[in-house]
Amino acid sequence: MSDAPADRADADSAARNAEGDGFFERYTTRALVAGVTVAVVVTLLLAGLLFPDSLAGTLADALTSRNTLAAALRLSVPIAFAALGGIFAEKSGVINIGLEGLLIISAFSAIYVADVTGGVWIGFAGGVVASTLLAALFAVVTIGFRADQIIAGLAVWLIALGLAPFASQVIYSSPNTPTVATTGTITVPVLADLPFFGALFSASPSVYLLFAAVFGSWYVFERTAFGRWIRASGENPKALDTAGVSVTHVRYAAVLISGVLAGMGGAALSLDLGQFTGNGPTMVNGKGFIAIVAYLFGNYNPVGAFLSTMLFAGLDAVQTVLQLQGIGIPRQLIRITPFVVVILVLALVGRTRLPEAAGENYETED
Amino acid sequence: MASAVHLDGITKRFPGVVANDDVDLEVERGTVHALLGENGAGKTTLMNVLYGLYEPTSGEVRLDGEPRAFGSPRDAIDAGIGMIHQHFMLVDPMTVTENITLGNEPRKWGGIAVDRAGSREAVVDLADRYGFDVDPDARIEDVSVGEQQRVEILKALYRGADTLILDEPTAVLTPQEVDELFEVLDELTAQGKTIIFITHKLGEAMRAADEISVLRDGRKVGAVDADATTQEELAELMVGREVLLDVDHGTAETGEVVASVSDVVVEDDRGVRAVDGVSFDVRGGEVFGIAGVDGNGQSELVEAVTGLQTPDAGEIRFRGEDVTTASRRQRIDDGMAYVPEDRQERGLVMEFGLVENGLLGSQHGPELASNGRIDWSKTRGHAEAIIDEYDVRPPDADADAESLSGGNQQKFIVGREFERDPELVVASHPTRGVDVGSIEFIHERLLELRKQGVAILLVSSKLEEVQGLSDRLAVVYEGEFIDVVDPDETTEEELGLLMAGERPGEDDGDGGEPEATGGGDADGTERETPTDLTDAADGERA
Repeated sequence: MSDAPADRADADSAARNAEGDGFFERYTTRALVAGVTVAVVVTLLLAGLLFPDSLAGTLADALTSRNTLAAALRLSVPIAFAALGGIFAEKSGVINIGLEGLLIISAFSAIYVADVTGGVWIGFAGGVVASTLLAALFAVVTIGFRADQIIAGLAVWLIALGLAPFASQVIYSSPNTPTVATTGTITVPVLADLPFFGALFSASPSVYLLFAAVFGSWYVFERTAFGRWIRASGENPKALDTAGVSVTHVRYAAVLISGVLAGMGGAALSLDLGQFTGNGPTMVNGKGFIAIVAYLFGNYNPVGAFLSTMLFAGLDAVQTVLQLQGIGIPRQLIRITPFVVVILVLALVGRTRLPEAAGENYETED
Repeated sequence: MASAVHLDGITKRFPGVVANDDVDLEVERGTVHALLGENGAGKTTLMNVLYGLYEPTSGEVRLDGEPRAFGSPRDAIDAGIGMIHQHFMLVDPMTVTENITLGNEPRKWGGIAVDRAGSREAVVDLADRYGFDVDPDARIEDVSVGEQQRVEILKALYRGADTLILDEPTAVLTPQEVDELFEVLDELTAQGKTIIFITHKLGEAMRAADEISVLRDGRKVGAVDADATTQEELAELMVGREVLLDVDHGTAETGEVVASVSDVVVEDDRGVRAVDGVSFDVRGGEVFGIAGVDGNGQSELVEAVTGLQTPDAGEIRFRGEDVTTASRRQRIDDGMAYVPEDRQERGLVMEFGLVENGLLGSQHGPELASNGRIDWSKTRGHAEAIIDEYDVRPPDADADAESLSGGNQQKFIVGREFERDPELVVASHPTRGVDVGSIEFIHERLLELRKQGVAILLVSSKLEEVQGLSDRLAVVYEGEFIDVVDPDETTEEELGLLMAGERPGEDDGDGGEPEATGGGDADGTERETPTDLTDAADGERA
């Protein structure tokens, strides 16, 4: 096709124009969301100071309580881990919507292994292994056999959603497991006594692990050759292939890493409570899907994904506090706030730029 | 001294097709060698053999006299061969430096981290050595196509390439960028690099190359010295016979008015009048041509006539009936054939095989379908007949449309439309981006239809084409017909002035620079319309 490159050239310049606008839009919308959040918080805090007994006062209390920060951190651990995993997979060109399933399988496996061996961290490792195995299955199906990534991802979720409660039923005669020891808390002396921010220094080890994972992921993408290969694999796999790097290997590695990271999230989730509950949507309850929103909102940046996770988790923590305090608004309404915000955010940041080749299976020419 | 590259008796067979048949090619070190041929002549296949993408069915690749066998591009790269593909292999959101070093990043800290300063330095050094103008920190998506191409070349050089293969390198460049590219090639050969340059443009082969090899139907039909040949000789080698650069269309036996357009106005999305009160008749047995620089309302007019857009005012009559608001389907059923200007967007479903593509437009029957059921065996026969009759290569009805070269895609569309037994053919840029042989073929078919009394509305920005084929020629400028002339009585210069918007009789000395005598050359020069923004939006999550 002699004219294809010219088409491409035009498409490119068109893309550049659209990109120009999109770029501007993207960042202004993100800035807008951030700005509105800050403004709302500041207003609330001021109003709370002036009228301590009003609704604003209650909210301000909830926002400034270190318990809220602690709860937000705890809630964000599984979501943020899964989001990091999702970034690895999707940047490499494999859309992994099975994160929810990876969280479920690892949450259960962690408890089971911990229960059998008696070691919390052995359980944690067990959860990671289970999630990685399921991710490996997903990788073989999508990369090896070039199945549709969305369908395979849904299958991963459904498999885990059925398998984990079923295994619990078989082993423990109930979809909920018995309780095991928890991961406990690491407390940094002195710093833990700080108001509000003290919560950062008296947290589950998985919180610190998460901080390390966020930094580590950022480092991989920004500083290592492997990170570049992942990006290239998701943007223009052919370019990577012709540069002599196997797209297949890079994608396998990325999907397996997503399994490891999501596994850490799931294991941390259940081991934090010491129990796996498997009723209905299980204790994971959509966190894997919120993780997808989080990394999209974070524009595939590990730090961005973590911050947007904190936004949702913070809202969730606040709504829990409000439910307990009883402020005259029906609980059911309060409970949905984080989800309403998710929808709003998605509607506002509708133009996250996907990796060019995300969702496309790659076939080498030879 | 042995040749830098020596392909010895290369044969490459694909199921059912011989893409290369016993091709010999010898390229001396430090020279530019052009590989010339029509679309589908086997140029790219041959180079893919050299680059390790295909293994030859038989034959041998020798570099500096030594036999080599490449299992993959990796092997070829290691042996010092670099290929610059038609579609650039670049990662748009990454920087120039990141792209050049991709896969071979300089490392530091025991290999953990990329040595970013070192990468940048290596790229700057390389660019300086060959006098390339690139910004190492710019993102690919922000730089011009010409610069992207230089990045591709640097990428190959960074990997230690001695021999560079460029696949249709000028197709995407502006004339200025083409000049720059040729300067780059000179610099490269001066420094001892060897260049193989795939093209179907005669002029460029003569300008850039030292030696030219011509391929036709997978066979090498000649090797000539670029200084000692002529365009005519090359064209003849390419198509295998004298090319009729001048079409003799004889005199017209015109019949009834088949289509009649009166005072048609079409507004574009912004409410601007893209077509502003155009009237004309097309009679049976005549070619009515519309010339003009692209974007002066031709597309909108064609869409109004074919039923893809409803005009905002005016009337269109076809075979005596008012079809102004008639559906596309009705117009097809009434005998209106349409060769669209963008074959990939409008003419074909690229992911479908030719069998399905041959059905398009006839899916309602009665010939190929009845009562909502498609007769696939007839449909297949139909597609095979088109392939046979219109010389579509490779002759495989199951091949996906996208696997065909542009010229063959176009021949298939032309075949499909002409075989409808039409009363009116609307042909919009029927030879855009098509090689010499196919152009000639399509022109002959058009004139054959005219002889059979079919009315033909021909829109083209190639002056030579509309002038050579038309019986009457309208020149469109900003949505209006500037004039309707007898093409045989009008010179190219006069048409150029009309296309630039100078009305006849106006005596305006300056500003008469014809903007497009577009594609007057015989090598299928392409002008592309901007692709719409949906392409750009593909990468966005809605």
